Amino acid sequence: MPRENYRERLDELRDGVVAMGETVCDRLDDAIEAAVTGDDELAQSVIGTDHEVNETYLALEDECTELLALQQPVAGDLRLVAASFKIITDLERVADLATNLAAYGGPDGGVHPAVDVRALGEAAREMVADAVAAYAARDPDACREIASRDDAFDDRCRQASEAVVRDLLEADRARTEACDADGDTDGGATDGEALEASLDDVSQALLAVRDLERIADHAVNVAARALYMIENDDELIY
Amino acid sequence: MSNTTSDDSLITTEVQTESNDESAPPAGAGTAVAARDLNVYYGDEQAIDDVSMEIPEKRVTALIGPSGCGKSTFLRTINRMNDMIEICRVDGEVEFGGKNVYDDDVDPVALRRKIGMVFQKPNPFPKSIRDNVAYGLKIQGFDGDVDARVEESLKGAALWDEVKDQLDSSGLELSGGQQQRLCIARAIAPDPEVILMDEPTSALDPVAASKIEDLIDDLAEEYTVIIVTHNMQQAARISDRTAVFLTGGELVEYDDTAKIFEDPEEQRVEDYITGKFG
Repeated sequence: MPRENYRERLDELRDGVVAMGETVCDRLDDAIEAAVTGDDELAQSVIGTDHEVNETYLALEDECTELLALQQPVAGDLRLVAASFKIITDLERVADLATNLAAYGGPDGGVHPAVDVRALGEAAREMVADAVAAYAARDPDACREIASRDDAFDDRCRQASEAVVRDLLEADRARTEACDADGDTDGGATDGEALEASLDDVSQALLAVRDLERIADHAVNVAARALYMIENDDELIY
Repeated sequence: MSNTTSDDSLITTEVQTESNDESAPPAGAGTAVAARDLNVYYGDEQAIDDVSMEIPEKRVTALIGPSGCGKSTFLRTINRMNDMIEICRVDGEVEFGGKNVYDDDVDPVALRRKIGMVFQKPNPFPKSIRDNVAYGLKIQGFDGDVDARVEESLKGAALWDEVKDQLDSSGLELSGGQQQRLCIARAIAPDPEVILMDEPTSALDPVAASKIEDLIDDLAEEYTVIIVTHNMQQAARISDRTAVFLTGGELVEYDDTAKIFEDPEEQRVEDYITGKFG
């Protein structure tokens, strides 16, 4: 077959994107674990190795640019390069969000208990992994199926956020009732510190939910670009 | 161009007025050339296999395909350049100006004034720049202002500024790229409707080639341009429509150029343009 070196480079680009996706999923696994358990060492490992993902991203971006400049791909080859160029940006963002997620666990334990970070995280992670697999296997049905999960996932995120806020309001009400019962003689300062800590927990939980929702959105983007690559169909790109 | 000859028709005994008809379709809306069930043979060898296609006016249409696929044969069939090849036989029709150009009453010389041609290698005559451009006008008995038409043609070929002070110098003294633009000026001087180009930049350096590419884009505002090229990136850059011929003279796919190079319908076309064969 003519242009063997060129075809090998296209194969290597695809393999590189898939490998990057697998690395990002591994980082996401660790980030979820750190967020759930508050394992600070694991969290620091996710944060400290993010530069590796960034370097992979830049190397793959260079490869896409070079293929465009030197090989002038067309048709299916062009769509592979164009889709890969976009997909690596989404994967790099997922890795960034994984570092956020890892940091939310903190040294004092995991994310607020009202958020099931493990369940939500694993669902988001599965969407990313499935989208990368659909890209690798050139599976258009899988791309559409991944996109169809997004609304349900958004609902779960919304419910989790509401649960966190509800928990905050209930805790505040309980604190107020306790103060009223005590006549609030000497506990004002302590209550203020508790409220502040509680607000920190809540804001971190809400940020964690927001980031998980964004990870799922990036997974849908990967699936959308993969579908464009496979069928020249932009129905999922928005 | 305004000052036309007294004989614009394909038939030597009639005067064709269609090109001046104000009721004609707006620019780009009509069909300039249509092939219908076209088969071309060189002896027993079939070079074009049952091709039907409509080529839009005032657009650039590229013909691409591997060597020996019949794209140059198709191009030369449009203005009957293949008449000069004794063993060449044409079946089917090539319609231009409402007439089959292979009808018995069509004069090939008149046809070639309306459908000019630019070849792979620049082939100026060993004459002055002025005479190169004026040559076709003299042959057709042009009775207007020859110098004005020469200037107009050289401007149309983006060469005027470079040669206006040396019109009496030999055309052979120009660079390769300039010579090719001189040939384009010669082709447009008789005021054709269609310009056929057979790999017009393959003998030129990249800078000269890019000037020709820009020129082709400009020419399509006034003329229908049909170009054979081996350079697929060139076809992608400059053409509005692309026809892909594959071995045996088969027209495999013909569509908007963006469609061909982004998402061709035929797997064989995808394989060819991505370099999987050819």
